[in-house]
Amino acid sequence: MNTRDRDWPRGRWPGRGREGERRVGPRGMPLLVLLAVLAGALLAGTLWLWPVLARRGVGFVALRIALLVALQASVIGAVFVWVNRVNEFYVSWSDLLGTNHPAAQVAAVAPGAAHDAAVSAGPGVQTLASRQVVLPGARPRPGGRLEKVRFDGTVSGIAATGYVYLPPRHSTASRLPVIVVISGQAGNGAASYGAARVAAAAAAQIAARRMPPAIVAMLPPAVAGRASWGCLDSPAGPQAGTFFSQDLPLALVRAYRAVPGPSGWAVLGGPGGGYCALQLATAPSGQFRVAAAAPGTYTAPPGAGGTVAAPGLRRQDSMLWRLQHWPPPPVQVLFTGAGGPRRFVALVRPPMTVTTARPAAGPASLAPVLDWIGHALAAAPGAAGSGG
Amino acid sequence: MSLTSGTPLAVAILAAAGSLAAIVWAWPRLARPRPGYLAARLAVIAVSQLLVTAAFLIWLNSYFSFYATWGQLTGASAGTAVAAQAAPGTAAHLVVIDRSQPGPAPVQRRAEALGAGTEVVPRPAAPGTAGRLLQVVIKGERTGLSSGPGYVYLPPQYFQRAYARARFPVVLTLTGYPGQAASIVDRLALPATVARLIAAGRIRPAVFVMLNVSPLFPLDTECTDVPGGPQVESFLAQDVPRAIEQTFRVTASPAGWGTLGYSTGGYCAAKLAMMYPDRFSAAVSMAGYYQAIPGQYVPHLWGGSKGYRLENSPDWRLRHLPAPPVSVLATSSWVGEKTLPGTLAFLREIHPPMRGYSLIIRQGGHNFRTWDRELPPGLVWLSRRLS
Repeated sequence: MNTRDRDWPRGRWPGRGREGERRVGPRGMPLLVLLAVLAGALLAGTLWLWPVLARRGVGFVALRIALLVALQASVIGAVFVWVNRVNEFYVSWSDLLGTNHPAAQVAAVAPGAAHDAAVSAGPGVQTLASRQVVLPGARPRPGGRLEKVRFDGTVSGIAATGYVYLPPRHSTASRLPVIVVISGQAGNGAASYGAARVAAAAAAQIAARRMPPAIVAMLPPAVAGRASWGCLDSPAGPQAGTFFSQDLPLALVRAYRAVPGPSGWAVLGGPGGGYCALQLATAPSGQFRVAAAAPGTYTAPPGAGGTVAAPGLRRQDSMLWRLQHWPPPPVQVLFTGAGGPRRFVALVRPPMTVTTARPAAGPASLAPVLDWIGHALAAAPGAAGSGG
Repeated sequence: MSLTSGTPLAVAILAAAGSLAAIVWAWPRLARPRPGYLAARLAVIAVSQLLVTAAFLIWLNSYFSFYATWGQLTGASAGTAVAAQAAPGTAAHLVVIDRSQPGPAPVQRRAEALGAGTEVVPRPAAPGTAGRLLQVVIKGERTGLSSGPGYVYLPPQYFQRAYARARFPVVLTLTGYPGQAASIVDRLALPATVARLIAAGRIRPAVFVMLNVSPLFPLDTECTDVPGGPQVESFLAQDVPRAIEQTFRVTASPAGWGTLGYSTGGYCAAKLAMMYPDRFSAAVSMAGYYQAIPGQYVPHLWGGSKGYRLENSPDWRLRHLPAPPVSVLATSSWVGEKTLPGTLAFLREIHPPMRGYSLIIRQGGHNFRTWDRELPPGLVWLSRRLS
């Protein structure tokens, strides 16, 4: 068979078959009618001739057998044609018997697409600004780089502005783990979850060897405007879940040489991002092994997330429903604050684990969280952590 | 009891033949010219006809590998199948059941024996020149779904010293609905065809994973994450690739992963590749369709959301979402395929960076004979796009 690719002639389709096959082939109505009439005639004949064939003699027995077999065959033939009509299994006699087939060729649909190379995608990241992160102290040292970037979602089509912290010697290191920080404060320089302070905290913990070198990506939860509350895919609308679970990992793996997930991937929910973090970590298509968020039961996405009138879709948006109905995901969860949500914790089963920490108040609160995430990322999946 | 094994067919054929013999023997006793005897003649012919037709349909089912058990045929096991998906996951996500050589000889379809599994030990022993076919059960780490009996084909190179460090491309191969993974082996003859094409140097060695498109068969889930129900899309696109990666020497890059399927499997091959270009880069859709259709035995495939249904339609995705960086080969027939208009419409919608290719044969129905003919050029096309 010739499989050379060639350009597809626009507006012209080669080699149309004969439409006549449709009527006389093994799925045609005439054949079905013929077989049905034949079966009826044979049945009537059999009943009519019954007394005649009841006589003794080899010839009469043979006639009985012949008549019965002909009747059965015509009925089976009609059944086959009917089944074949419904299912379109065999379209022609040559199709049924496996004879006389000319070779077919693969054709490229669009001109220029004929060459064999695999399709490649761009990295999906554009750097808007970049600056050094400096570690404070008597002698300031370089602590990596903070970039303001625009992610262009390959699958979701969502374009979102965010920040990426790259640790020192990132370009020469092997593939690095990733912490995705989702918070409404990402663009706010003064806030504790602002990009600059998160980057400074990560740089300090890495320099102190309290967490392994990691890429930190910072994004707001509402990447697609107000409709994307909770990082969920809105049916036939903004695909915020797809952006976080597919586009972001793809971009970070391609552009920043991040380790391919889900091992080595953590998500940290800051203010406004807690639901996002837990929903992404517990999704069946999950790309994350570690999640941290403020305590809560998270039974529904925040804000106007429950606007879609599809009960089946909304039900599984509750973390409690997920814990009750889906297998426990192999993720480690940290609740970063006082008062662990009892209903949530009570539903957690291995290999999932949940830990509750009471971090110190104030700007220093990010450091122990990063330490815990770093520890969880370094440990084997499902091996570390406590509680549950 | 298995429906596709020889026993029910043999019983049905014996019963049909016995009924015919009984009629021939009892013929003179029913020959009297009274209405009661006429009715008796009609009755015995009807009974015999039913038995013969039943034998024929059982043979037809066995030939096409539609339903493997009576429960699947009647949908009786549907309820238990849904409940099973909530079972907690276990440590082993891929269990190898059986080993045999790929070839024209049919693979034994022993669905009953699947309970007694052994841990996978890919032994580099005596793979011959045809490679090795493993019967496997894949259990979803995140979705909790189980693949049911599936197959993994490892090419001969997988066991050769020169390839000891090589990571192989993977093709996820999906059946139609209704169907059994075994029909990919013995009706489509995929492992034998692949072995032949590799030996002839027409395609590069690759690992083929062969699964039922509906892991909860007879539930027709159309490879969909059913809202509040089985997450089949995530199972096929995430759990299965992860289990394969953890078990075999295969590439992790999407450039090395492809999908291939016929009928419902064709729809799913195209849809999954378009939804997960971070996992797959090429798809072969044989006689597929490109709009989401309702599944059998699944009342709320899209959770009552029209938007979610649209998202599951490759046609709609091409019009409303960025074209994904994948290549799709769509096959159909000029005569004999209801899927032809939909296939042509889908191909026309494809735009960069996605690439579309067509393989339209002159005539051929919705059957394995057609797909057998489309398979070699489809495999050659796929091999050129995977690295």
